[in-house]
Amino acid sequence: MKRLSILFLLLRRCGLRHWRYEPGSTALLLAIVALGVGVFVAIRLANEAAVASFTRFTETLTGQSDWLVQAPVGALPESVLPEIRAELGARPVHLVPVLQATGSPPAAPDETDRFGRPSYTILGVDLLGVSNLAQQLAAGRGYFGNSSQRGAEAASAETASFWTSFQSGPQVWLSPRWGDSLPQEIEVVLDERVLALPVAGWIPVAPDAPAVPPNLMVMDLPQLQHLTGREGQIDRIELVLESGPRPNERRQEIRQILERLSAEGTRWIVSSPESERSTANTMTRAFRLNLTVLSLIALLVGLYLIFQALDGAVVRRRGEIAVLRSLGVETGMIRTLWWLESATIGLAGGGLGIGLGWLGAQGAVRAVGQTVNALYFETTVQAAGLTVADVGLGLSLGVISGLFAGWWPARAASRTPPAQLLQRGLAPAKGSRVLRSVPLAVGMIAVGVALTFLPAWRFESGGRFPVAGYAAAFLWIFGGGVLSAWLLPHAARALGWWGRAGPAATLALSHLRRPSGRHRLAVAALHCAVGMTAGMAILVGSFDFTVKNWVQRSLQADLYLSSSGAQSANARNMIRAEAADDIVGHPAVVASSGLVAYPLTLRQQQTLLTGTDMATLRERSPLPWVDEPRDQAVFETATNEGLGLVSESFTERFEVGRGDRLEVPTPSGVKRITIAGVFADYGNERGALMLDRVHVNRWFDSENVTNLSLWLKPGMDAETVRADLLQQHPGLAVYPNAVLRAEVLRIFRQTFAITYALEVIGVGVAVMGLALTLTSVLLDRRDELTTLRAIGFKHREIARATAIEGATVAAAAVAGGTALSLALGWLLIYVVNKQSFGWTLGFAIPWAQLGALAVVVVLTGAGVSWGVGRWGADLPADREE
Amino acid sequence: MMKLRRLIIWGCLAGSIWARSETPPPFTADGFKVPQPGYQFEFPRDHGSHPGFKIEWWYLTGHLTRVQDPAMRFGFQATFFRQASPDGATDLFLSHMAIVNVATGEFLHQERLNRPGWDAGAAVGRLDVHNGPWSLAMADAAAETMRLRGGVRAEAQWDLELKPQKPLVIFGENGVSRKGDAPTAASYYLTYSRLAASGTLNWQGETVEVSGQAWMDHEISSSQLGEDQIGWDWISMQLDDGREIMVYQLRKRDGTSDPASSLTWVDPAGKPQRQPFTWKVQTTWTSPHNGAKYPAKVRVTTTDPTTGQTTNVVVEPLVADQELTGDLAGIPYWEGACRVIDGTGKVIGQAYMELTGYAKDLEL
Repeated sequence: MKRLSILFLLLRRCGLRHWRYEPGSTALLLAIVALGVGVFVAIRLANEAAVASFTRFTETLTGQSDWLVQAPVGALPESVLPEIRAELGARPVHLVPVLQATGSPPAAPDETDRFGRPSYTILGVDLLGVSNLAQQLAAGRGYFGNSSQRGAEAASAETASFWTSFQSGPQVWLSPRWGDSLPQEIEVVLDERVLALPVAGWIPVAPDAPAVPPNLMVMDLPQLQHLTGREGQIDRIELVLESGPRPNERRQEIRQILERLSAEGTRWIVSSPESERSTANTMTRAFRLNLTVLSLIALLVGLYLIFQALDGAVVRRRGEIAVLRSLGVETGMIRTLWWLESATIGLAGGGLGIGLGWLGAQGAVRAVGQTVNALYFETTVQAAGLTVADVGLGLSLGVISGLFAGWWPARAASRTPPAQLLQRGLAPAKGSRVLRSVPLAVGMIAVGVALTFLPAWRFESGGRFPVAGYAAAFLWIFGGGVLSAWLLPHAARALGWWGRAGPAATLALSHLRRPSGRHRLAVAALHCAVGMTAGMAILVGSFDFTVKNWVQRSLQADLYLSSSGAQSANARNMIRAEAADDIVGHPAVVASSGLVAYPLTLRQQQTLLTGTDMATLRERSPLPWVDEPRDQAVFETATNEGLGLVSESFTERFEVGRGDRLEVPTPSGVKRITIAGVFADYGNERGALMLDRVHVNRWFDSENVTNLSLWLKPGMDAETVRADLLQQHPGLAVYPNAVLRAEVLRIFRQTFAITYALEVIGVGVAVMGLALTLTSVLLDRRDELTTLRAIGFKHREIARATAIEGATVAAAAVAGGTALSLALGWLLIYVVNKQSFGWTLGFAIPWAQLGALAVVVVLTGAGVSWGVGRWGADLPADREE
Repeated sequence: MMKLRRLIIWGCLAGSIWARSETPPPFTADGFKVPQPGYQFEFPRDHGSHPGFKIEWWYLTGHLTRVQDPAMRFGFQATFFRQASPDGATDLFLSHMAIVNVATGEFLHQERLNRPGWDAGAAVGRLDVHNGPWSLAMADAAAETMRLRGGVRAEAQWDLELKPQKPLVIFGENGVSRKGDAPTAASYYLTYSRLAASGTLNWQGETVEVSGQAWMDHEISSSQLGEDQIGWDWISMQLDDGREIMVYQLRKRDGTSDPASSLTWVDPAGKPQRQPFTWKVQTTWTSPHNGAKYPAKVRVTTTDPTTGQTTNVVVEPLVADQELTGDLAGIPYWEGACRVIDGTGKVIGQAYMELTGYAKDLEL
């Protein structure tokens, strides 16, 4: 107890006092920790929000369902409903058939060729049947009939109102979060049509039901079936057990019955809402983990800097340590004291970081949401919330970072003998041997190289995470940091000729010839930030280059058409067969190719089954091959039943290749498909199996298409034809070739927006760290500064010397960082990206970007250092810290 | 929507009103069929649905005891309604299920409303009605054996075989049961007044074998209740001597009883015979759910057709709270298992009593 009170007394009197006297440095250090923690927290919150927003829309109507029954591909026929009811017998369970459509508001004239407009989810459920569910009973009112009359006429008015509403044409109910007032009707793009749907009312909500997403609309099932031309079809059945004893036993019994009827998953797949949510979770896991790892960069950079700042403090306060040791304070207590100090900094920085993170998350959440929307599933993410767990994690991260970075300085403080500590003019510490060991650095890099040969970690859902790849990256960053620091004295010697330029350069280079541990740390931190940023620039540049080539090769048609209602990765809008026939029959069209896509569950993983016109594809829009078909059989309808092409992601995901056979469930039974070739596809991370549309249409009994490519007769103006088609079918999105190419690239770049932001924050932290380093170095050199002033050095010259010192540190970091970036770029492209997404990219180095980054970092380093030098030039010799 | 559903039930139940007759027209003003005198019933066809009529229901009540432990006693209700839309283009199917555990006093009930289709419907030409997991079907047309599968959520489920112990009773004159003064107000009213029930009952997770007796009405009409009527009371009594009594009283807004109210004895051979009656409420019960005040113990005074003597029977609920609170349909009513007591205080049979129009919010 007494020991504890002494500890806190010493902390207050000796430790925290110094931080109070140096508000600038303290603020900078806190800002570094806060930024590191803040970036991590921001990404964590944004990730959580994006996944949490995977709304099971039906829940707002049914409450928690117990089981979901869905076809492995395409729709379920309604005829399975009586079959399932009969097999379940008198078991008390609600069967809720659901048809789900997506739509969007009609595009404004200036956004007809942009993807990513708001999207509506339209649920078709039996609005009378759902009134039997406990959740709807709790809502207190049903869907049909809303007479406001009272008194004697009320009953007959209610009767009339009910039947009028029940028997009326298509109408929608809107989310109570839609807006303040209920519109009379709402315009929705459904398939390729723009429909004006009467609004019947608000969706009734039970008091404790989940909030209804604002973009949810509800229609009576038969109406939506009719409207979408999907009579007799449903997308899933939700089973809701009625309350009573032995719920788990009943639940399992029902699952067994459903699975017995499912013909081993070829008729339907039985899943639980939890597993569906978990699929959404795992589908995006690789993407989110990648973001989380990137978000740790700023913290990693921060760790170097906290370490360096505390190390500096140990050196500057060695007199005080010596006094304490002389007074009999034990080494253990001194170590604990320093640890407590670093933990306090971590705690305060972590606290600030949580606030920063929350603010950042509000911006990041949109970016994460956009990517999830474009690549995975529809999200309604609006804002990121902060939970107690997030706060705990943020604070822990701050404290752990503080403790981790403070470990070596605390050890140094407690181990140095008092006599040595009291010496004046002691040479600055060279830093830990670990940070100076070139063999160790080379060894780490070598281990990293070995790790790149290891495969990715595979999730049950099919997602992959390149854990060895990231471990290699961290080893290279650390090893590279040591090597960059090793460069520093050599660079100073190599720049010896510059010393002749004046006393400021001589002075700066003399310091760098024998760099302190803090110099090395500053280099390592900046090296890490520059390396990662430039590495990411290489990845993005390579992606851009590859996708541009792919787009140029794949997109050969003059016009591309899809429903303007399809605004997210899981949109279900199509172009109806009659409209497609009308479009391809346009007099300006010389050739066309349709593509139909159905989500497919294969081997318990999500992918896409697509059907296209293979012959047209071969003639007019050859695929970029990864593994070209050995013969032409796959392109001829007469010979290609049972043959298919798969995307590169598909081969990675399902571990198959050319010549392998697949058993693919379809509404017409299981089909055996042999993989004839593998093509590159950067538009879909889940992979795609491509078959001839003739067979797919027959199996699915539908002639609808997901999108159409049109080739125009020579001399026809694409814009004129586009305008003509839009006039006839206002619900279409019609992209001229160049626009679609640009749009595809825009979406790709959008997915990298957040990673860029993370890298820039990392560089920012590192530059702040450089300022902190030089401040601390100048504080150490108070005696020297006094001497310099005495022998006639002007403020300007001192500032110049510091600027040269900072610029050289930055240049060493940039040199090492650029080398690192090439290695990281290679690693990200050929290991991390390939293992995460299965995409092969060409290697393209954006030299201009890398050059600009190097110049900016060196100049910023010089500028910040100059500022610190101006400040340091006035430091008195006896200044108390 | 709530009130609409009230009307469905109100309209359906009101269909059992017995009234004086005139020759009815073939159709109502809105085009629905009107029951015609002399209609030739044909079974099993007429156990099935009659789509041309506006309202139709199959209504079962009964008493069950556990085979191994007769002290464990239950009363149950299972009803299936079909109601056509005003234009006759479609139907709605509404069902009510209720069960009371006499020993513990627990009363459970549930309602279900569905459109016709895969989850609700009534076959034409044979008895086969279903609504969700609940169903009633004629399993053996020759023996007139029926199977009833009902329940209340997962808390109670019953699977019963029902065998008629007496011939089917066709109420009314010349096959038509008149409902009121209006020429279209009439119904076909078919009743199995005594069915032997046997099967299983799962009560709160425990399945037991049960047996007992049940009562079933099947009524077909296109009529509606008059505006001056605010509710009705109905009792089916199964006496230990092999006879049954069916009595109902229609209550008017002015507090009087409608002349169409009626009491009918069914003799051991199944022959119905109307008798005059009086209805006196001896005690009342106030609902804790909505404050409605219902009759509890009721004394019915009538003439015993066998002896020609005036006789008093008292009908007394086995459990006070057997109120269906109308969570879905919006019309609370009391319907429950009762015992029948004679003038000497001796229990002489069992009954089911229905009391409607007592809840405060009932409007018509």
